[in-house]
Amino acid sequence: MEKYFRFSTLSIVTTYLLIFFGGLVRVSGAGMGCPDWPKCFGRWIPPTNINQVPEIYIEKFNIVLAWVEYINRLFGAVVGLVILLSCFFAYLYFKKNKHIYIPILMALILTIIEGWLGSMLVHTVLDPITITLHLLLALIIIGLIIYSSIRAYIVIKGNFELNSNYPQRIKWLIFSLITCMVIEIIIGTEIRGALDMSRKDNPLIKGAILLNMLGSFKYAHTILGILLISITYYLRKILINLELSCSRLMLFSVNSMFVIFFLQILSGEFLVFFDVKPVIQLFHMWFSSLLIGLGVVQYTCFKISKI
Amino acid sequence: MNKTSIISFFILIVFLGIGSSWVINKANESNSIPPPVMKKIPDFNLMNYDGKPFSRDSLLNKISVIDFIFTSCPGPCPIMSKNMKELYNQYKLHPDLQFISISVDPDYDNLEVLNAYADANGVTDKRWKFLRGKMIDIKNLSTNGFLFMSENLPAGHSVKFVLLDSNANIRQYYDGTDKASISILRKHLNIFLKNMNLKS
Repeated sequence: MEKYFRFSTLSIVTTYLLIFFGGLVRVSGAGMGCPDWPKCFGRWIPPTNINQVPEIYIEKFNIVLAWVEYINRLFGAVVGLVILLSCFFAYLYFKKNKHIYIPILMALILTIIEGWLGSMLVHTVLDPITITLHLLLALIIIGLIIYSSIRAYIVIKGNFELNSNYPQRIKWLIFSLITCMVIEIIIGTEIRGALDMSRKDNPLIKGAILLNMLGSFKYAHTILGILLISITYYLRKILINLELSCSRLMLFSVNSMFVIFFLQILSGEFLVFFDVKPVIQLFHMWFSSLLIGLGVVQYTCFKISKI
Repeated sequence: MNKTSIISFFILIVFLGIGSSWVINKANESNSIPPPVMKKIPDFNLMNYDGKPFSRDSLLNKISVIDFIFTSCPGPCPIMSKNMKELYNQYKLHPDLQFISISVDPDYDNLEVLNAYADANGVTDKRWKFLRGKMIDIKNLSTNGFLFMSENLPAGHSVKFVLLDSNANIRQYYDGTDKASISILRKHLNIFLKNMNLKS
């Protein structure tokens, strides 16, 4: 049984690394690093020099971008295997526990769809809606694995939420947090997409200037962000007032959420007021995926406190 | 959650930050290398749709994107011209960049027809040129200048876009009907235009 917990934890860590790497592919502009899928320039090992590139692809060859994209695909395949193994152990030990087995099975199915979406990205030459779906699906997958993993943990080690007594309104706070976060992420990807479009129409103009040219939805992103950090603050206040009847994991996740929201506002404003630096963009996106994970942790804690 | 896990998380963040910055830098570097010179364009004498002569000298000190089309073409030309039009609109702030479409059917594509074609593609300034000339000159330019197969003109013309630098050297060929290939062209154009801006 511990094997399942270990593998599901490994799935969470590697999936987060993969989300980071996916973001890296995006900000470094390596999305079309391999013009074909699943092979790269018609080869299973990407070309290391121009002579290995077939004539029809010749202008598209950039060795750095090809390898960045291909490592992302290989790593994706490894993560897929780790989730498959988790699923196998869940089947061995937790077949009858629908809170553990069903989510990890769904995660596995969605991972296969995620791989297919990745191929669609290449075929559609990075269609913006497909990029957003690719990210959202990754977030659903990570949420499912986190839920399943915590449910397995309490079976193995005992329920750490036994003494917790959360008021019902906390559930609605967590729900509204997760919903608003998803909306916030979608608005974020829209801003990012619009920035790319605008960059195409105005080559050689600095990113920060282009960002200022974008419509009013960039303000919606800031406003919703402030609303999110306020809800988190309120949630934290309620939990601290509960003192002992709140688990350490719950408190930790809310505290971390608060800190990360703060970092998000800092990095977001940096992008607007200074420059659209790719590394900051990358962490801004990745932190948002951590926030979703923390939201799922809180939801799970609440749920198991009612068992 | 103990202290070690928090510390290891921060180490991970630092590690990811350094690693990703390195990759982004490498990617930027690789994106700022212009494609190498392939070959020089020989001299030629054609005529622009406004009636003025257009020769090899008209390519100097400008970045040029060239394709071969004919206005009555049913196949790939409409897609090529649509993509060329998109580039023409996207680079409206860059007078140093010119787009050149050479007719491979000069018998039908007289100046009047080319003017109508330019209008239909929303051309309002001199950045996009439509050229015609004697069939033998065009065939010669297509074959010996651009190394295209030119036996079956007009229908058998190439669908490539060709990027020329400010010394009339061929730098790279792109598929004028393929979005992914054109996005590479855009990347290369940005490199050349940036270098030109730095010089001036």
